[in-house]
Amino acid sequence: MADRVRTYPGTRKPTPHQGHGKRNCVKILERLSAYLDDELSRDVCQEIRAHLGDCPNCEIFLDSLRHTVQLCRQRPSPSLSAKDRAALRRQILKVVASV
Amino acid sequence: MIPQKKSRRRSVDGPSPSTSTPESFDQLYRDHVDIMYRFAYRLCGEVETAKDLVQETFLNAYRAYDRFRGDAQVSTWLYAIASHACFRMRRKRKGEPDRELSLEEFVPTSEGEFALQIPMEGLSPQEALENKELRQDLDRAIAKLPSKYRMVLVLRDMEGLSAKEVGSILELNERAIKSRLHRARLFVRKELSARGLAGDLNRNTHTRLK
Repeated sequence: MADRVRTYPGTRKPTPHQGHGKRNCVKILERLSAYLDDELSRDVCQEIRAHLGDCPNCEIFLDSLRHTVQLCRQRPSPSLSAKDRAALRRQILKVVASV
Repeated sequence: MIPQKKSRRRSVDGPSPSTSTPESFDQLYRDHVDIMYRFAYRLCGEVETAKDLVQETFLNAYRAYDRFRGDAQVSTWLYAIASHACFRMRRKRKGEPDRELSLEEFVPTSEGEFALQIPMEGLSPQEALENKELRQDLDRAIAKLPSKYRMVLVLRDMEGLSAKEVGSILELNERAIKSRLHRARLFVRKELSARGLAGDLNRNTHTRLK
């Protein structure tokens, strides 16, 4: 309980779920990356899950954030062609040799 | 990955000052150029600028080579050099400071803004990314990020480094890294939710899966 009070400054009655409204949803939104990255204490995770279970909008928002992170993680990046790699090496070593 | 002994990492990954010859530097270049190009491309989103950044990175690395003590992995050291070079290149080109992203701007104000306008159900991220428009929209969203946020997103979510490693590269504490990462993700999420891709992606995916 004490942890929960510290994690939610200004919260006077630390109940598992305090209903909805923009203010509560914003507090959830602030922690969603930490939630996805598994950086929160068990108490805070429980509180977030309780909110998500009751608030479809936040649940949808979390899904969309999770998908965004997955897309970033899986985005392939083009690699340097062998020709470009060799050309860059030549340019760099030329400058290096002249130093 | 099998952890290497520190002494071995020093000889393979972190050359001592006495070996700072163009030959040993050439080895360092060959070992790391692909990682650095991938990083540069993700930061710049464009081939020629990425090549310029790679060149600048290795030249700066050569100049600082004697001072590298092997305390960090060479790749971490190079990431830091590339990040600084990227900030300098951007500042020179744009001449204006990064704008700050505040959490308030990411609070949805209407029903339609909660979901991503990309149907991912039943598709893996890789499958979804086969859609060229989605890739372009993702790239555009990342490119629109102010540099200091993009840097963190690329290092954490694309290069896969830990918050601690990114903190040491950008000389920031982990708290600042996590805060920037969250804002960067929210920014990209918002851009993708505003794209209205649903129709096109559905059509293309169905065509592809037939």
